[in-house]
Amino acid sequence: MERLPQEKRLDYLLRSSKIVAEGFLGDDARSLEEIIETDISALVHMGCTPEQVAERMQELTAIAVPHMGNPVRIDDWLEVVSQDYKGQIICPWPHPVRLPKRVTTARRLDTEESIRWSDLNIHMIAEHGFFEGHGSAFRIEPALLVRVIFEDFAGPV
Amino acid sequence: MLTVLLSVLIVSSVSAGLALVLVVADRFVANYGECTITINEQKKLKVQGGKNVLAALTEEKLFIPSACGGRGTCGYCKVRATEGAGPVLPTETPFLTPKEIEDNVRLSCQIKIRNDLKIEIPEELLAVKEYEAVCSRITDLTYDMKHFHFELRDPPTIDFVPGQYIQLLCPQYKGNREEVYRAYSVASDPADKTIIDLIIRRVPNGICTTWCFDFLKEGDTVRFNGPYGEFRLSQTDAPMIWVAGASGMAPFVSLLYQMRNERITRPTTYFFGGNKVKDMFYLDRMRAFEKELPNFRFVPVVAAPDEGEQWDGERGLVTQALERADADLSGHEGYLCGSPGMIDAAIKVMNQLGIPNERIFYDKFE
Repeated sequence: MERLPQEKRLDYLLRSSKIVAEGFLGDDARSLEEIIETDISALVHMGCTPEQVAERMQELTAIAVPHMGNPVRIDDWLEVVSQDYKGQIICPWPHPVRLPKRVTTARRLDTEESIRWSDLNIHMIAEHGFFEGHGSAFRIEPALLVRVIFEDFAGPV
Repeated sequence: MLTVLLSVLIVSSVSAGLALVLVVADRFVANYGECTITINEQKKLKVQGGKNVLAALTEEKLFIPSACGGRGTCGYCKVRATEGAGPVLPTETPFLTPKEIEDNVRLSCQIKIRNDLKIEIPEELLAVKEYEAVCSRITDLTYDMKHFHFELRDPPTIDFVPGQYIQLLCPQYKGNREEVYRAYSVASDPADKTIIDLIIRRVPNGICTTWCFDFLKEGDTVRFNGPYGEFRLSQTDAPMIWVAGASGMAPFVSLLYQMRNERITRPTTYFFGGNKVKDMFYLDRMRAFEKELPNFRFVPVVAAPDEGEQWDGERGLVTQALERADADLSGHEGYLCGSPGMIDAAIKVMNQLGIPNERIFYDKFE
């Protein structure tokens, strides 16, 4: 099936280094649709939705931002830290979203597992269900994300 | 079933063929001839039609800020197109507010020149030039910050106002197949017009900072254009409070040179924040400025020194240090450079201490 011009442009933007070095898809040869479907399925398998995890990521980021790059403890099991960098970044999808270049890292104190995300990751997960391709610098593994950011995650449902 | 598939295939093929013919015709057959771009109702440029406005202006050495090099992905290259630009394209609308569309603001990289047109740009952009320079020294400042010293080659000198920035061209390199521009504040002495200094912090997976940190070497030739920006000292005698963190130091270094050169004696307190002692840099240089500028005081602030780390200065967030000053700053001006979060927090504190928003000037990391 011939793809629409806007789909081709999106695929090009995601694979090119126009927005981030080495693109959003890394060395992942799968189609965008397959990447999104696989990750959402993994989330659903764990009893979560992209909206839920994005909301939690946003919540943690909002807690960390006022501490300007210093770690902050949330209860006694999680530590988050946000770093701001110069510049803004746009969403590769065709809509007017421009976000600060900010990286938030969450670390579970009990398991030492950690994960980092950008503000763009939060947006792309919430709006597009996109966790980036394997091998990209800001790829978010759904299972790891859920394990780190939710205290009571018990495993796949 | 086979008939349906064949029909779809034939229609798709015909559509694709027609689209291809249109693209080829537009590229090689369409001749828009020579067109005139009138800028700010005063400057007229004769250009060959068919290209986009940003490219045409760049060829004429007229630079509009653009981070993506004219590919319609950054949304920075806005101009006001008052005549002849045609309708707003779907590729532009994501970057334009309804008010901007109403005011005929357009992305110059998306306006194809098919006829004469009139545009309006900020007057200071007419003075922007393109420069070639040699990177003659790279110095580590911290684990994630470097100082880059460039000697100008062509043209050999630059005039800039302290506080302004340039756009550095990041070329293609392994992992980056596109040329992009990124903005960095100038950190050098405006009296030495033959060089520029930049202070750059590595952005994780950043296109340009990856090049600066991992590929750019001493002796390499670089290109940049500028200067741009409105951040600068006001023409008053008001005492000043400066707040910055990390590479936000850059414009303030240049402002300090200006104050020294022009013997500006405005009382100035500079709060410089970092998270750890390892984030601090230029402490000796700032102490030297304190000796040269009798009314200048430098206050480095470390949020949370590591255990056992020697730190005799202020502790806590830079905004907390400012808050602790607990002074009436109602006659002061505030100057800020750093992340949006830091700037927003510092503005709040400055307001509490009596500095109104109209006397607070900032350069946000945007």
